[in-house]
Amino acid sequence: MFTPVFLAEQTLNGLSFGALLFLLASGLTLVFGLMRIVNLAHGAFYMIGGYLGVVVAGLTGNLLLAVLTGVVVVAVTAFIVEVVLLRFVRGQELPEVLLTVGVSFVIADLCLAIFGGDPHSLPSSAGIQGSMTVGDLTYPWYRIFVIGIAIAIGIALIVIQNRTRIGAVVRAGVDDREIISAMGVNIGWVFTGMFVVGAALAAIGGTIGAGVRSIAPGIQDEVLLYALVVVIIGGLGSVTGAAVGSVLIGLIDAFAKAWIPELSYFTIFAPMALVLVLRPTGLFGRTT
Amino acid sequence: MTRTRAISGGAIVALLAVAVALPYIGATSYVISLVSTILIAGMLASSLNFLIGDAGMASLGHGAIAAASAYGAGWASKQGLDPGTQVLIALGITLVVSFMYGILSMRTSGIYFLMVTLALGMVVYGLAFRWSQVTGGENGISGIKRPEFIGEWWTFYYFLVGAFVLTTALLAVVSRSPFGASLRGIRDSETRMRSLGYSVPAYRLGAFMISGTVAGFAGLLSVWLTHFVSPSTAGVHKSVLLIVMVILGGVGTVFGPLIGAAVVVLVENVLSNEVERWPTVLGLIFILVILFARAGIVGSFNKLIGRLKRRATSTPSPPAEAELVTPSGAPVSERNHTA
Amino acid sequence: MMSKKMSPRGRWSAIVGLGAAAALALTACAPPGASPSGDDANEDTSTLKVGYISPITGNFAIAGQEMVDGWNLYWEVNGDEVNGVTVETVVEDDAGNPEVSLTKAKKLVELDEVDVVVGPLLANTALAVAAYTSSVGVPNLHPVAAADDLTQRSANDFTVRTGSMSASQMHFPGGVWAGDEGYKTAVTLCPDYAFGWESCAGFKQGFEQNGGEVTAQYWYPNGTSDFSTYVSQIRAAGADIAFVTTAGGAPGPDFLKSFMGLGLGDTQDLLMNCCSLDQATLRALGDDVLGFHSVSNWAEGRDSDVVREFNDAYGAKFDGKIPSLNVAGGYMTASLVAKVLEQHGYVSGDDLVAAISSLTVEDSILGAVSFDKYHNPIAPVYIREVQEIDGKLYNVPIKTFDAVDQWLGKTPEEVLAHESYSQSFQG
Repeated sequence: MFTPVFLAEQTLNGLSFGALLFLLASGLTLVFGLMRIVNLAHGAFYMIGGYLGVVVAGLTGNLLLAVLTGVVVVAVTAFIVEVVLLRFVRGQELPEVLLTVGVSFVIADLCLAIFGGDPHSLPSSAGIQGSMTVGDLTYPWYRIFVIGIAIAIGIALIVIQNRTRIGAVVRAGVDDREIISAMGVNIGWVFTGMFVVGAALAAIGGTIGAGVRSIAPGIQDEVLLYALVVVIIGGLGSVTGAAVGSVLIGLIDAFAKAWIPELSYFTIFAPMALVLVLRPTGLFGRTT
Repeated sequence: MTRTRAISGGAIVALLAVAVALPYIGATSYVISLVSTILIAGMLASSLNFLIGDAGMASLGHGAIAAASAYGAGWASKQGLDPGTQVLIALGITLVVSFMYGILSMRTSGIYFLMVTLALGMVVYGLAFRWSQVTGGENGISGIKRPEFIGEWWTFYYFLVGAFVLTTALLAVVSRSPFGASLRGIRDSETRMRSLGYSVPAYRLGAFMISGTVAGFAGLLSVWLTHFVSPSTAGVHKSVLLIVMVILGGVGTVFGPLIGAAVVVLVENVLSNEVERWPTVLGLIFILVILFARAGIVGSFNKLIGRLKRRATSTPSPPAEAELVTPSGAPVSERNHTA
Repeated sequence: MMSKKMSPRGRWSAIVGLGAAAALALTACAPPGASPSGDDANEDTSTLKVGYISPITGNFAIAGQEMVDGWNLYWEVNGDEVNGVTVETVVEDDAGNPEVSLTKAKKLVELDEVDVVVGPLLANTALAVAAYTSSVGVPNLHPVAAADDLTQRSANDFTVRTGSMSASQMHFPGGVWAGDEGYKTAVTLCPDYAFGWESCAGFKQGFEQNGGEVTAQYWYPNGTSDFSTYVSQIRAAGADIAFVTTAGGAPGPDFLKSFMGLGLGDTQDLLMNCCSLDQATLRALGDDVLGFHSVSNWAEGRDSDVVREFNDAYGAKFDGKIPSLNVAGGYMTASLVAKVLEQHGYVSGDDLVAAISSLTVEDSILGAVSFDKYHNPIAPVYIREVQEIDGKLYNVPIKTFDAVDQWLGKTPEEVLAHESYSQSFQG
């Protein structure tokens, strides 16, 4: 339980689980930061991305194509949801919640009707196969790849946020929405764009994640819950916070399940409750 | 103002008359149990409605309070304790759990409050799941007895109707009291109330205790109805549906929660007999209500009545739904795009 | 301060108060004629009306739908009229929610006046429904639910398990087999709730009665999606064999992905259970799971005419799919009901349960089945291996334990006297 190989393996387990969590949570936290929307349909977007990814990967054996298909379909879906539905309740928290719950219900049920209830898992031929061996340690390349993807996306998001004009607009919008309009930008389309990007991130998570955790009915709620927890711990709207929160939860989960199994059920929620009590705005959240 | 009151008063009497007459006009015990389910869900939603509408605190763990109370009663019943003790234990647990919720959440608001309550709900769910010596774990506790004086299905039904009326009245009275007004003040501008010398956390805690107690009572009634409790009653899904019921019916309205509860319960239990894709239907109902009746079913109905009346009398009086505001503060009507 | 504003509010409360008083006054006299209609048994003996509760939507939809498909398939193949009695089925969806399940059971009994309730699927819903149906004297048949207590501590004359087994019973032979195969040490990984505790207890007792030793037991919480941390623990424990159970759905393939991904596929011997290596898992993972072992009371690859006919009929209807335990449970339940109708004509109430329990079926799709006096099957349990036959993957039995009962080598009195299984009590 304390041998170096076991520790290294658990660390990688924690990091790869954390990487998955980051893919789920980054989109949610971005959308929340700008739009103040608790998008409860985030898990449903993940679900669509996952199902489509698995089906396309099964047909073509091409992971990139699978991810792209998922991203495009989910982006279109999210665009429709934002323009046709969410625009009409902008700024009203509870109607937004209800609306996204409704969207989530419909998507999940239609996925069940279309894809059936079988768990769908990324075919191993489409993923990155084989295992890395370092001394006594054997670890699957696919999980390392997941960590890599998460790091790449995380860096990309931070760079875009801090170094580009779009990022500047978004950052301004997070602080003060009126500023955006003063900058001569149509805030409605900034919101729509951010919502679509957030959903697309969920779709990437869905396809990539399907190589570790299969897509099945109910996953939309599970994913949403994890994403919310990470976002809360990290602080709403903070990409850095989502990254730190994901890694923290991933590592705590991996080691707690091994060392204090009695508390294994609470490994996700206890840290969240603790953070909320001690620092209600999250580790990297703005204190307003 | 008084005329609206009279209308809602008339609606109350009419609804009550129907509820009371139901068993006499040939409703089978199945229909009665369905109506009972709606009443209990409505009571639970009402407790949340008070919290959301007056205090602006949207709890995402409210189902778990009812569940904790239900477990208390279930455990007591399994120990062979008499109904009085059962009620006391359920009440005690309700108070303790509500207090924990309140104390841990009173310094947060908005989305953070949502999250703290979600986390607390998950803890209750986890306990229900894991503490199997007491809770029976996943399988739950079955065979829970209710007191003999309401042992018959119809006596229990009338007891429920009475309980629903009393708790609804109680919540309405609290909401219209100075305490309720202060809560709305805090909801709308926390800083102003604080500078006026109000102890905001104390008010929040008080609101939570009241709401939690009603929720716990509903939980007790639900085990008396189903004779059964399992972890799923404490799940997030349940609490999300509760919020949905409140919004569906109309936040801040007296009957909204009941109507919202009726829609959800009927779709889940009755429409599902006819339509295989009923979750899609339920989702579409949520969406349509928000798009076309943003203030919820009852809220929009009130609004419509108000508008009609204003047109009839053509004297500009404040609309009846003036109190209907979103948690973030601004009245609904000001914020809406025209739908 | 309060009294100043009293008048409008006062009137309002007065109305409410009056209503409440009226309601309470009325409670003094019972409504005419209305009584819980559960005991108004259907007098029509030409039809056996069946209420079938199963989760057809929601997270357990696939298992629930399969359970219904199995039942319907039997009547489609064999005709729904037996010995002059027509079997009529009303299917109700409970979405896996115990409260909804109970309401649906009430609806079936009181509104549809069914003669028998079949289902539901999940242990907690099954226990809730069984408590209700037995209280109103309606027989309740369980095609899939595996909760020990259904036929142990909560056993009654209206409840019979028709298509599955107790969870501990189904996994006990797994332990016996592992002992017979010469494994000395084992670790177990089971879900952290009643089904997991019972299935692990079954394995552990079977293994330890056969000279093995369980060196560590891990429990994963429901909702676990990433099993790598448990796989790492299994590797670190280094036992001769690992025993892993799931209750179906995503955990099976998810565990196996981690297990194989971390490279244990070739180095660690593994025994799984019915539902973690069922057809859904085989469809999801394909050839990767060839040669894996599991223990179950259903083996779709068993060399038997009845199983082949059943597989063919199911495959013909569902694009060549191969039936899972859930389908088999539904089908088996229907076949038992048909046998009873054949022998006795229309039967209802506890007579139906008694009639099913007195059956002995030599060649069912589950093998030779009879029942104990707690209305639980005594039936074969198979150790299965995933093999490819004509391009399709099947769980093929490599060892059969006949006439397995639910008492794990002990007497019923001993089993019923001890507490229910839990993490801390494994028998």
